[in-house]
Amino acid sequence: MLPIKQTLFIVSGVSSFIIFYMGIVNFLTSVDESTGMILLIFSVFVATGTLLGTVHISTSITKPIQKLAKNMSEFSKTNKISNKNTIKTNVKEIFDLNKNFEVMGEKVEKTIKVQKEYVQKLKDMDRKKVEFSSMVSHELKTPLVPILGYVQMLQKEELLGKLNEGQKDAVDEIYASTIKLEKLIGDILTTQKLDLGKLVFDEENIDVSELLHGLIKEFELIGIEKKIEITANFNEDIQIFSDRDRINQVFSNLIKNAIDYVSPNTGCVTIGMKNDSNHVEFFVEDNGLGISDENKKELFKKFYQVDTSSKRKKGGSGLGLAICKGIVEGLGGKIWVESEENVKTTFFFKIPKKPLKIKTSDRLDKKIQNK
Amino acid sequence: MTDTNKSNQKEEMKSLKILIIDDNEQITKMLTTFLELKDHKCTVANDGKEGLDVIKENRHDVILLDLAMPEFDGYSVIKDLEENNTLKDHKIIVFTASTITQEELDDLVKRGVMSYILKPVDIDLLHSKLIDTASL
Repeated sequence: MLPIKQTLFIVSGVSSFIIFYMGIVNFLTSVDESTGMILLIFSVFVATGTLLGTVHISTSITKPIQKLAKNMSEFSKTNKISNKNTIKTNVKEIFDLNKNFEVMGEKVEKTIKVQKEYVQKLKDMDRKKVEFSSMVSHELKTPLVPILGYVQMLQKEELLGKLNEGQKDAVDEIYASTIKLEKLIGDILTTQKLDLGKLVFDEENIDVSELLHGLIKEFELIGIEKKIEITANFNEDIQIFSDRDRINQVFSNLIKNAIDYVSPNTGCVTIGMKNDSNHVEFFVEDNGLGISDENKKELFKKFYQVDTSSKRKKGGSGLGLAICKGIVEGLGGKIWVESEENVKTTFFFKIPKKPLKIKTSDRLDKKIQNK
Repeated sequence: MTDTNKSNQKEEMKSLKILIIDDNEQITKMLTTFLELKDHKCTVANDGKEGLDVIKENRHDVILLDLAMPEFDGYSVIKDLEENNTLKDHKIIVFTASTITQEELDDLVKRGVMSYILKPVDIDLLHSKLIDTASL
């Protein structure tokens, strides 16, 4: 790239030299000595004038352009037009250029200000949403305390007296519904927190084999009761650094789903893991009905139910898989399903062995940007 | 249940003096009904200020403290006791339905609260926690 100043200097230097050279040639070749002298002096004047003129012109063009360039680079850093370097120029083109830059800058400044206000508004709205759902959950949980308490007191016949069979059934049904309601309130709150990136994840050392065996033990009784075989399938013992309770929550949701979809007596649910260099891939497999391709896509959406009539009977809220997805993604991993209809269904979730350093606030900002 | 059964149970379990600080009367009524059936003695305070007065007057084996109460809440009770350097003299179990993080709960325990129970609670769990905490 060639700067204007140098170019002008070279051009004017060459032309001054030519003028000066012609002056000397004239002086040497002219017959009349005084005419030659006048011509020589004249050429010296013209050459000097050209040089000085060039210096003046080049400075009056390049100085403001350089200033403008500096202002522009500053603007690109701060997004603010500084008033320090005001540009004074008599060159119309530069004046126009600067004017246009200033107008553009003001518009950009305004746009950024509006954008910032919107981001702030979105953040405020998110905060209000969290506050609101926290308040709602508090208000819903509070009356559950006496409901659950009295129902349990009724169930313990030594406390409030013996019940007949009909009363016993009624109380047991109330108890079951109360527990479901409690879980639903928790699920809604968890979903909301996941949506807003407000769920906090723990980081702790987890012995994977211990975790899987713990799950098998937890579901042992239900398996026996429903005549479903629940087993673990893995042959490696590894340590990961992640959130134990949340991984357990994902597993529990997937295992409960699997139990709901297999038939008693022939039902099999297998949990396990595959070790990868930086990740661990968990899976929950069942030999149930399977999931159609059409349903696979929608499965992880909130309140989506594969078969509304049958699933409702089983009491799902439709939030379980959405929560699983949110948690797994929050842990820096991904979840997916593979299925052959009437053969088997396998849910996989893969998470990093060590947590990715994503701050909750960053996730929130990302979310806002995506909106 | 026969009388002999009842007396056997009495021998097994120590009767506790329990203070319940909660603004929700349905909750306090249920708790006193349950705990008195379990042969404990309950005192109820319907707000933090009243609770604090009862705490200062009488010793209790264990105190169930709600956090969200109008005006003088559970946090204020804890703060007041902390300022008087008597928080650790009492066996306080925080009993709350608030959306509270594990960090906040851990912080309360660090400051001298004995334990916490989240609402709603299985009454058997509540009972065993009260007994365990009182015997510490």
